[in-house]
Amino acid sequence: MISYVIRRLLLAVPTLIIVALMVFFLVRLIPGDPAQIMLGEGADPSAVAALHAELGLDKPVYVQFATWLRHVVSGDLGTSITTGEPVSTLLITRAETTGVVVLISVGLATLIAIAAGTVAAWRRGGKLDLAVMSGASLILAVPSFWLGLLLLLVFGVWLHWLPVVGYIPFSEDPWSAMLFLILPIATLTISESGVLIRMMRSSAIDVLRLDYVTHARAKGLAERTVLSRHVFPNAFAPTLTLVGLTLGRLFGGIAVIETVFTLPGLGRLMVTGVLSRDYPVVQGCLLFTAVIYVVVNLVVDLLYPLFDPRVTVE
Amino acid sequence: MKRPIHSLLGFGLVGALLVVVLLGLVWLPYDPLAIDLDHTLASPSLAHWLGTDEFGRDVASRAMLGARISMLIAIQTVVISIVLGTALGLVVGFLRGWTERVIMTFSDALLAFPGILLALALVAVMGSSRHSIVIALAIAYLPATVRVVRGSVISIREREYVEASRVAGDSALYTMWRIVLPNALPPILVLATSLFGWVILSESALSFLGVGVPPPLPTWGNMLSSARPYMYAASWLSIAPGLCIVATLLGINMLGDALRDRLDPRDN
Amino acid sequence: MRKTIAGLILIAAGVGLGLALVHPKAPPTGSMLRARLNADIASSDPGMKRDANTDAVLLHVVEGLVALREDGSVGPMLASGWTVSPDGRTYRFALRRGIRFHNGAPLSSADVKWSLDRYLAPDSHWRCKSDLSAKGIAAVTVINTPDPDTVDIVLDRPAPLFLATLARLDCGGTGITHRASVGPDGTWLYPIGTGPFRWGEWRHNQYVDLVKYDGYRPLPGGTDGNAGGKHALVERVRFSVIPDGSAASAALLRGSLDVLDALAPNELGTIAGAPGIMQDSAMSADFYGILLQTGAPVLRDVRLRRALSLSLDVAALTRVVTHGTGVPDSSPIPAANAFYGAAERVLVKRDLATARALVKASGYRGEPIELMTSHSPPEMYDAAILVQAMARDAGINIQIVSLDWATQFARYSSGDYQATMFGFSARMDASQMFGVLIGDRATDPRKVWNSPQAIDLLHQSVVTGDRAQRQQIFDQLDAHFRSEVPAIVLYNTRRVTALRTPVTGYRSWSAQTQRLWNVGLGNSR
Repeated sequence: MISYVIRRLLLAVPTLIIVALMVFFLVRLIPGDPAQIMLGEGADPSAVAALHAELGLDKPVYVQFATWLRHVVSGDLGTSITTGEPVSTLLITRAETTGVVVLISVGLATLIAIAAGTVAAWRRGGKLDLAVMSGASLILAVPSFWLGLLLLLVFGVWLHWLPVVGYIPFSEDPWSAMLFLILPIATLTISESGVLIRMMRSSAIDVLRLDYVTHARAKGLAERTVLSRHVFPNAFAPTLTLVGLTLGRLFGGIAVIETVFTLPGLGRLMVTGVLSRDYPVVQGCLLFTAVIYVVVNLVVDLLYPLFDPRVTVE
Repeated sequence: MKRPIHSLLGFGLVGALLVVVLLGLVWLPYDPLAIDLDHTLASPSLAHWLGTDEFGRDVASRAMLGARISMLIAIQTVVISIVLGTALGLVVGFLRGWTERVIMTFSDALLAFPGILLALALVAVMGSSRHSIVIALAIAYLPATVRVVRGSVISIREREYVEASRVAGDSALYTMWRIVLPNALPPILVLATSLFGWVILSESALSFLGVGVPPPLPTWGNMLSSARPYMYAASWLSIAPGLCIVATLLGINMLGDALRDRLDPRDN
Repeated sequence: MRKTIAGLILIAAGVGLGLALVHPKAPPTGSMLRARLNADIASSDPGMKRDANTDAVLLHVVEGLVALREDGSVGPMLASGWTVSPDGRTYRFALRRGIRFHNGAPLSSADVKWSLDRYLAPDSHWRCKSDLSAKGIAAVTVINTPDPDTVDIVLDRPAPLFLATLARLDCGGTGITHRASVGPDGTWLYPIGTGPFRWGEWRHNQYVDLVKYDGYRPLPGGTDGNAGGKHALVERVRFSVIPDGSAASAALLRGSLDVLDALAPNELGTIAGAPGIMQDSAMSADFYGILLQTGAPVLRDVRLRRALSLSLDVAALTRVVTHGTGVPDSSPIPAANAFYGAAERVLVKRDLATARALVKASGYRGEPIELMTSHSPPEMYDAAILVQAMARDAGINIQIVSLDWATQFARYSSGDYQATMFGFSARMDASQMFGVLIGDRATDPRKVWNSPQAIDLLHQSVVTGDRAQRQQIFDQLDAHFRSEVPAIVLYNTRRVTALRTPVTGYRSWSAQTQRLWNVGLGNSR
């Protein structure tokens, strides 16, 4: 088990290095100079050149890459060009916001998917199934930021129930923080539940067809017991994989939702980093999300055997 | 299971979309690019069914032209992504070994790479054009296609008929092209329909973050993003393109489901 | 397993219910004034690592020897007055008595010298270092401190614009800070100044808090630019970073903001007429327009440039793009400037017939002209769309290249474009406004207008202090500008600030910064 984990992590190293290389050269390929942007329109060219050199941007790119990689290996992600804050501090504070929103949303979406998907599979072809599947299809068709804007319009501006803007760090005051996070969480929960419901339903259908379910029913077990004790545990594995993939994707990718609700999360950090050519921040973000991606997938693979006895961890 | 209502609805929605796109080729209510600065932000009326935008352009005409452009982008992206992804997936799944390991490492790296950064970079380097959006999205969706194709190829290559072809002395290329590919097509087709929907969503998200298709050509995505500031004052501007996207995706997804039901042997 | 699921669902329901019952906590305002920044400040070091937001925030904390007044002239701030030697090279400043820094230390001439030396040091990135150098308006040769209350600054040549430069906002108002603002290793800590507010807390990308400075000694009088009498009427000022315009107006409507400065024109519809919201506005001394590369293949022909200018209905464009807030302008001198005279006031009118004739005469055959733009600010993007549509009527084929701001800025800086939408923020002196356009393109690719005549006239405008003479020079420059069309000026913006009704005393001004001194919250005083 432990050797498996270590082997998996080692296998991820080349992937991470490729990600790091791609990011490093890609961000420098984009026109625009952080020194120039920072000093603004009308700045003296010699001041720009001086700042450029101070940031070490006048050295050859491979030298910059080597320096950066050496620092990363020793645990130093550098400092943001625009704000001067350590990138690791930025990542940790921003990851908190994104993490809270993503974990709660995906958690809620998974619960919804388990309930709705199993019930739909159980009542396959019936009205309930049709309703669940229509709902899931509709969710899949709605752009998440549009949904966010509509929710904002209705609950924030028209009804005045929830704040439209602002943010309190979750670690400072979880309850007040939640107030600002309800709408983003609701948006993300709804838009992520569509795929999960469909996945849960289709694997539950597969399981319902199997002999032991028929056996269990023949034994006279109540339908609820059959569903929760026999169908759910065996049907959950594929959904779990999807949950893992979703988590990995969302940690780096809720920039749009964060933009709509002005949350200081990882996605926005990266987008503003790219827009202001804050190279260390972009590199740090990408490396961070790539690592999360690898770890989440590993955890999912480790959990898989718990739900699908046919699969064992190598 | 057949969900006749769903597939009927799917056909209906996609059919309606095609009619709108085809109609737009020969007739539009107004010139979608013509500005009318005396009639900006007009609410829906008989003259302008969906109102006018911040430059007095007719929203209905723009939505019709936008349908064509959004569709073009989606089709181009799906074709590029599927063709490249199928080629790579076939090779990787069939040959396995070192080729597979190298290509999959790159594919995983790409998968861990946010599409938005890729799009921002491409747009900044190539300038924002339809082509850079298509290329960025095609690259972003490539790893998913490779994974799906590879998965089905791996299961197909163990089947007897593939073994038979190999024993008969067919070249690897022939076996891949004539034996493996046709059998791997159903899941690829299903993937293509999902991809179509994702591309439309991603295009609108990119527009929203400011790197979409450049003006003055409308897409549903850039119509939606430029309507954002008028969300409260002129909500019809955001609602029309939003509903267009929802209806299209709903139709495409339902068609995809119908297709899946037809192609999945277990369900018949 | 069933119990687990039931339990999970119960917990989820409980969390949901719990959340629904929590009421928004009243923010601990006391007397906190909440304002908005559209981006985080670049640093807390005045004039060094800066942008307009940085200038605006820091000018609450630091003050210079002199300060800019409402009308663009220069008034006393830390100096009670000054004398200029007959040769125009030595400025003697008398410091005001009894002024203390936020850390309690009294202000002395040594502090002024220390700050100025720091600005002019070889390794400093001070924005205005090059202006006060040999290639600028005049170099500072010596700074003397004959006694604790007197500072002498000696220049290498007379410079009528010396005081105006010291007062410039983008120079950080040449703010005087205490040496404890810098750590023992020479790194900048935070500004210890003399302003009506002292530095509070800076949470990157969230907010900057400033706290009322109880020991402030105001000048007599009321709000007058960055000069005049300043009183902190609230205990605390919070500048929240809210990049998104729609989110900011929503926050104001909901009462989470008191002052929303730089309201985006396209947000006006949302704010206008909302209960409990007032507006204050002032013309800005800026200009927005189109820069043309006079060396580019197609635009090399002045007839085509004139045709493009004549194809535009500037008044309609301005009205739509700025939602009625901007003022159409055809001169680089902004309408808010004192030198905006009869000649500058004349607006270039749309004349399609002449435009088409010019297009024909130039031999232009529909070659695409690339017009670069970005969403920064959003009006520039909208303006590009309208320019494209209007030029189409004159037979000019414009293709919009929409980029992100950093790319557009890089290409502007290296002159790598045919035409670009561009805006220049408020500069209080007319020479500065022309200065952004005029220069030698070979050495500074940002300049679009390298006519020797223009360069000479611009030079003449900074060496004289005589008003009438300067007006005459600017009129000549303006006439040349209109005939050579190296750029097309479209409009000056109006800076609109939306306020919640309890806010009193807020005044917008042409320099485009928000000033929160003399601003109160209804009954808080």
